[in-house]
Amino acid sequence: MRFTISLALALSLAGFAAQAAEGELPFAAPRDADIAKSAGAADILLGKRLLSDTKHLLPDHVGDGLNCTSCHLGEGKVAFASPYVSISTNFPQYAARAGREISLAERINGCFLRSMNGKAVPADSPEMKAMLAYFEWLSQGLPPKTKMVGRGNGKIDSNLVPDPVKGKAIYEAKCASCHGADGEGIKDARGEFIFPPLWGEQSFNVGAGMARTYTAAAFVKSNMPVAWGLNAPLGQGDALSDQDAVDVAEYFTHQPRPDFPAKVKDWPNGGRPKDARY
Amino acid sequence: MKCLVLERDMTPIKWLCLGLILTATPSQAQEIFPAEQIEQGHALALAGDCVACHSIPGGKAFAGGLGIDTPIGRIYSTNITPDLKNGIGAYSFEEFDRALRKGVAKDGHALYPAMPYPSYALVTEADAKALYAYFMKGVAAADTPNRPSDILWPMSIRWPLRLWGRFFAKTKPFQPDPSHDVAWNRGAYLVEGLGHCGSCHTPRGIGFQEKAMSPADGPDYLAGARIDGWFAKSLRGEQASGLGAWTEADILQFLKTGRTSRSAVFASMAEVVSHSTQFMAEDDLSAIAHFLKELPPADGTPPVVASDDSTYDALRRGDYHQPGAAAYVEFCAACHRLDGNGATKIYPALAGNSVVGSNDPTSLIRITLAGNRMPTTAAEPHGLTMPALNHLSDQEVADTLSFVRSGWGNHAPAVSAAQIGKIRSKLEQP
Repeated sequence: MRFTISLALALSLAGFAAQAAEGELPFAAPRDADIAKSAGAADILLGKRLLSDTKHLLPDHVGDGLNCTSCHLGEGKVAFASPYVSISTNFPQYAARAGREISLAERINGCFLRSMNGKAVPADSPEMKAMLAYFEWLSQGLPPKTKMVGRGNGKIDSNLVPDPVKGKAIYEAKCASCHGADGEGIKDARGEFIFPPLWGEQSFNVGAGMARTYTAAAFVKSNMPVAWGLNAPLGQGDALSDQDAVDVAEYFTHQPRPDFPAKVKDWPNGGRPKDARY
Repeated sequence: MKCLVLERDMTPIKWLCLGLILTATPSQAQEIFPAEQIEQGHALALAGDCVACHSIPGGKAFAGGLGIDTPIGRIYSTNITPDLKNGIGAYSFEEFDRALRKGVAKDGHALYPAMPYPSYALVTEADAKALYAYFMKGVAAADTPNRPSDILWPMSIRWPLRLWGRFFAKTKPFQPDPSHDVAWNRGAYLVEGLGHCGSCHTPRGIGFQEKAMSPADGPDYLAGARIDGWFAKSLRGEQASGLGAWTEADILQFLKTGRTSRSAVFASMAEVVSHSTQFMAEDDLSAIAHFLKELPPADGTPPVVASDDSTYDALRRGDYHQPGAAAYVEFCAACHRLDGNGATKIYPALAGNSVVGSNDPTSLIRITLAGNRMPTTAAEPHGLTMPALNHLSDQEVADTLSFVRSGWGNHAPAVSAAQIGKIRSKLEQP
């Protein structure tokens, strides 16, 4: 990908303000409207659509009711909502869960197998190439191993002790109106999910990162609910205390959800996090 | 509101108004008012939303002080608590009635017509008495002094206001129209009178007067108007921009909860719903809905184009050739969805939305740039927001809103980057 100073400048000016630590770039993402002007536009656009409309476009690979954007909010362009921006500069990467270095395609398939409770997308398929092209486009002009503000889900204190009883009450008061009293989500008139299901057969399996209490709590703290504040891009997050986020995360992650039989192969060399489900 | 009746399910607002009644300081009015009359007055004061202008956010109820911009400068609402020195505690009923319905204060000075006395002129004597009972005995006295206006001499001379009042204001209480049913007449009484809906929704003439005060005055009545940097939409029967596509049940639900299946209340109307209409009796809200639905569309409104799926289909297959389409998908579709239908009672639909469809895009632009918050009501406890998308350029906002105004069967005129820039610069002023 070509690197142009003007583009980087425009991105940093347009980017969402976030405090950058030493050596971190401010969060910024290119606009969809510029895809058409980019080399390989067709692949980039297809990749973006596959990641937003996943269940519909990859029905054989998605076993539940989710799209990638169910967790990677706003097309993977939202800071602290597991954005895709800069990801491709950081792969291949050692993954403790796999016990070896993995490619970005393998990381994406981690989501298909776990969060989507489905099947891997072949690494040489047009669909996987398109998703990787979109990731590359999002990281255009960034140096290798870029550290960027907003990667991941934000931080939460994993020493906080979760209280699932309080978590249930928080869920009912603050989450159920969109995610459903039984975590079943809300569908539109076409039968497609507007708000993703948080447990049950249509939700992520126990092998997903989101099934872990502190990972889910960090996501909730940073991103839930959306349409809560005036902050761009989604008015997301910062509605719960860290303790409340841990409590509610403990509650919904531990509701019934699909199993992940291949879980026995995880963390072969140790390093299992304390909130892993198995 | 049954404020004086202790109920098992006392809501906070009922406790609050009971508390107000118990702590009220005796005013000069020595009369004993029946509890039901005070209660009725409270319900009427809610319908009139007196508290909205006569209080500052976080301040004492009815103690005044809210700045109101008029064409000749800023004025401040007055203390209408029963405080003897700074409030209206020394008013007799006749003096209160004259201020309410004729716009003349106890000392004889004329009120600015920001006080909607031309509308309140319709209030019946029985209702005026109930309001008096409430303001004398149901409201806690506050000694907050009144703040003089910022209007400079000679514009601050008050006597021309009396001529204005003589020229523009009605003087007779509401007269029922026998050609309409009881509900319509009740709705007319509330909308034209205490509700003073026309203060925002009716365009104003050269004398700052509302161009029409009732349906009989013609198609300007409640036809939509620009006020305070917003466009208060038409409440007439236009399909795309008025209430033509709304049912009476929709209007009732909107006033009661702040939401319908396809829309949500924003801006000053959010305060009206949270302070006023959510507490009104459902019969009265139904009457308002019935009255409004009888208003025919203003002349010359565009014909309705049926909603179609072509916009949705194009976006779903990644066809972003229309300017603004890609930005819509990137910045709007997560909530408002590719089909423009939003999520029932959570995210407003943009397809067929009457604010989107109004010719005047002021409110649409402002809400996009600055965001806004839905009110919390008893029925809808989550005050959801539209985030401020002011990181988008003027051209991006213009393209996106033009796309929204022409998508899914909408057919409102395009907006320009210059229009966005103008509103943005106003919002950025301190």
